Amino acid sequence: MIRARTYTDAQQQAHSNAELNWWIFMRISGLVLVFLVLGHIYMTFIQVSEADATYIAVVNKLQQPAWKLYDWTILTLSMLHGVNGARYSIEDYVRSRPNRAWVKTIFYTVAAVIFTLGTVGLFSI
Amino acid sequence: MYRGREGQWAWMLHRLSGLAILAYFLIHVISISLFMFGEQAYMALHTTYELPIFSLGLIAVTAGVVYHSLNGLRIIMMDFTGMGVLYQRQMFWGVLGLTLLATAYTAFIVIGRLLGGEG
Repeated sequence: MIRARTYTDAQQQAHSNAELNWWIFMRISGLVLVFLVLGHIYMTFIQVSEADATYIAVVNKLQQPAWKLYDWTILTLSMLHGVNGARYSIEDYVRSRPNRAWVKTIFYTVAAVIFTLGTVGLFSI
Repeated sequence: MYRGREGQWAWMLHRLSGLAILAYFLIHVISISLFMFGEQAYMALHTTYELPIFSLGLIAVTAGVVYHSLNGLRIIMMDFTGMGVLYQRQMFWGVLGLTLLATAYTAFIVIGRLLGGEG
């Protein structure tokens, strides 16, 4: 967990290259997700009624490769960004080592299953 | 900057909104993935989403995502520019203001649609 004010601070505080890379990843994926997620919310909830997301509408939309790519990019980036964010929280609030280990194991497993479900779903059409 | 006053509130709201969005996101992916099991499985759940309470819930989701996005941009500015650190308090109020504005717009559109009977 890095509490940095600047990129230089982050470099000094990072215990490992992996931790520094996650710090950078959170900022880059965040920047990309701002556009992808706000666009997604606008298109599927504000521009049209979310009741319009019927089975047929979803299947029609996902038959286009561009939408598949858009949705899979959101799925992947949000999953990594969200799970890493939750990891920061777990490391902050779950204080005992053994508890932290199994909380993380269960959480990562659930996230991986849901990611697989989403990916298989997207590419099954 | 992360201790006391605006910085700490911004950080706390960022963490809370992040965890809330993650919870929504995981359920959203499961729910949408139901279309793999055919129209009946998908629509069984999705007709309940037409209840007004879910539309109102989505306004809250939008508010959370807009706050998290804008405050994320604020964090990036703080991390990479000195100006960002200097103006982080002002930017926090800017983030809150823009979030309220975007939420009000969403609520206006969605509640208008609900009252118009379009679900």
